[in-house]
Amino acid sequence: MTAYLARRFAYAVLTFFGITVVTFALIHSVPGDPVTFYIGKAGPHTIPPAVLAAVRHEYHLDEPLWKQYGWWLRGVMTLDFGPSVIDHQPAMSRILEKLPNSVVLNGLAFLLAAITGIPIGLWSASRSGHLLERGSSVVFFLLYSLPSFWVALLLMELFAVHHNWLPLFGMTSDDYEFRSAIGRMIDRGQHMILPVLTLTYAQLAFYARFTKSALDEVIHQDFITTARAKGVSQPAVLWHHAFRNALLPLITLLGLTIPYLLSGSVIVESIFQWDGIGRLYFLSLISRDYPTVLALTVVTAVFTLLASVLADVLYAVADPRVRVEGPR
Amino acid sequence: MKPHEAGAPWREVWRRFRRSTIAIVALIYGCMVALCAIFAPIIANSKPLILRTPQGLRFPAVHDLAGEAQGAEEQWEGKVVLRALVAHSPNELDLMRRLQPPSSQHRFGTDDVGRDVLTRLIHGARVSLTVGFLAAAIALLVGAVLGAIAGFYGGALDWIVSRVIEIVLCFPFLFLVVAIVGLFRPSMYTIVIALGITTWTDTARYVRGEILRIRELEFAHAARAIGARDVRIIFRHLLPNALAPALVSANFSMAAAILTESSLSFLGIGVPLPAPSWGGILSLAEQYIDYAWWLVLFPGVAIFTTVAAFNVVGDRLREALDPRG
Repeated sequence: MTAYLARRFAYAVLTFFGITVVTFALIHSVPGDPVTFYIGKAGPHTIPPAVLAAVRHEYHLDEPLWKQYGWWLRGVMTLDFGPSVIDHQPAMSRILEKLPNSVVLNGLAFLLAAITGIPIGLWSASRSGHLLERGSSVVFFLLYSLPSFWVALLLMELFAVHHNWLPLFGMTSDDYEFRSAIGRMIDRGQHMILPVLTLTYAQLAFYARFTKSALDEVIHQDFITTARAKGVSQPAVLWHHAFRNALLPLITLLGLTIPYLLSGSVIVESIFQWDGIGRLYFLSLISRDYPTVLALTVVTAVFTLLASVLADVLYAVADPRVRVEGPR
Repeated sequence: MKPHEAGAPWREVWRRFRRSTIAIVALIYGCMVALCAIFAPIIANSKPLILRTPQGLRFPAVHDLAGEAQGAEEQWEGKVVLRALVAHSPNELDLMRRLQPPSSQHRFGTDDVGRDVLTRLIHGARVSLTVGFLAAAIALLVGAVLGAIAGFYGGALDWIVSRVIEIVLCFPFLFLVVAIVGLFRPSMYTIVIALGITTWTDTARYVRGEILRIRELEFAHAARAIGARDVRIIFRHLLPNALAPALVSANFSMAAAILTESSLSFLGIGVPLPAPSWGGILSLAEQYIDYAWWLVLFPGVAIFTTVAAFNVVGDRLREALDPRG
C-alpha cells in the first residue's frame, strides 16, 4: 500500500510540472502580450515608450522565457499569479471571489444529477432488456447529444420570455438590495433554477448510463451467478452483491466530476451571465488577461489532479486488487 | 488466409449492427447530412442549376461545389431551365426581409440581415461536418500512433505516453479548447487543431490496451519470426486488428467535435462570420429570443439530430463489436 501511494504521489508531482509547462507554453506561443493589448486599446501613439517598458518590466516580459517561467513557477507555488491586467487585483483573489458562485451552481446540479441518475441506472440494470428500460436508455442517450446552449435558449424562451415565470439571466434582480432576507433567498433561488436545470440533464444521463454499465459489468461475473444459484432473491443479489462492487468505478467517476464543480461551465455561465469561474475564464480570455487565464488553468488542472489522486487512493482502499497490481 | 477472408469479421459486425433499427436510421440520417454538406452549393444556391444560353447549356451552380457559394446576385444571360431546390445563397442579403417568419419563399424564415435560414443550415452542414471529420481524423491518427507505440514497446515509451495523457486529461476539456481557439485567431482550422489535440487521449488508451492484448498472440510472434521490422509489425499486423475500438471512439469524437464547434461559434469564438455555422445562427437567436423562434428551433434541431446520429452509430457499433453481445 505504501509503495503504491508513494508511486502515485511521485507521478502526481511530475504531472504537476507537466501542467505548468503546458500552460506556460500555451500562453507564450500566442502572438501578442498584455502590452500589445494595451496598445490596441489606446491606439499606438498615445502610450509613451517608457510606460510600455515599465509595464513589460512589471510582468517580467523583458526577460528570457526560461526566466519568466521561473518567476511564474515561484508564484504558482505560493498561489501568487500576479496582478490581473484588467483591474490590477491579484488574479488569485479574483478567482476566490467568483469561486463560491460556481461551487453553489455546479454543486447543486451535481447533487441533483447524482441522486436521480444513479437510481435510474440501478433500475435500468435490474430491468435490463425490458421494453420500458430500452426506451428510456434511448431517451437518455439522446439527452446526451443535446447542445446545452440550445437547451438554455429553449428554457429561457419558455420560462422567461413567454411566461415570465423566472428571470432571464443574472444572479439577482435589480431590487435585490431592498429585499428582506427571505426575499433575497427566494430571488437567488429563482435565478438559479434555469442554469441548474441546464447543467443537470446531461450529467443525469451520464450517471444513469455509467451506473448501468458498471452494474452490467458486475452482473456477468461468476460470484453473482453463484449467489443466484444458491437462491438469493433478485433485489438482494443486486443490492448486497452487485451494487457494492459497482460502486468502485463510481468512485473514479466522482473523482472526475469534482473538478467540474470548480471549473464550472463556460457555456452555461456565459449564457445565464452567472458570475462564476467559467464566465471569468471566458471573459479573461477575450480580454487577454494572461495572469487570470494562467491562474485559472493551473488551479483547475491541479484540482483535477488532486481529485484523481484522491480517487485512486480511495479505490486502492476499497479494492485490494489494485494495491497488488499497482497503477496503470 | 486469402485476402477476401480478412473481411469476414467485419461482415459479422455489420450483420449485428444491422439488427438495430435505430442504428440504421442514424446511419442513413448521418449519410444524408453528409450528402447535404457535400452538395450544398447544388441544393441551395441563388444561381440556376441549368441555364440555356445562345452558346449552349451552362451549369453555374456546379462551379460552386469546390468552393464557397457567394451571395452576389448576378444577371444571367439566357433562360433558366432548372433552379436549385432552395433558390438562395448563404450570404445573399435582403434587408427588406429581415427576421421574416417561415414562409413559402423562406421555408425556415430569415435572419437579422435577411439571409435565408434554410440555406445557411444546409451550408452550415459543410462547416460542422468538416470540423467534425478533420478533428476526429487528427484524434484517430495521433491516438492510434501514440497508443500503438506505447502498447507495442512498453517500458519508457509507454511511460512517457501515459504521463502525457495524464497531463492532457487534467485540463478541463472546454478550458483547453476555448484557450487555444480564443488565444489564437478563431478559424475553422484552429478549432480542428484544438479539438484534435485534446481528444486523442481516449483513442490512444483504447488502442494501447488492444495492442497490449494482441501483441503476444501467435500471428504477432509469427510476423517477428519471419523477420518483419517493428514498423511493419505495428502498422501492418497489429494496428488493423486494434482499430475497432478506435473507430468507435472516432464516432464519439466526431459527435463531440460537432457539438463543441457549435458551442464555440455560439460563444462568438468559433467559425467567423459570414461563414454559415449552426452555432452562429443560434447566437443570433439569443439576441432576438423574444420573437424569432425559427432562429432558435431549426439550427438547434440540426445540431441535436446530427450529434445524436453519430453518437448512436458509435454506441451501436461498440455493441456490435462486443463479443459478449
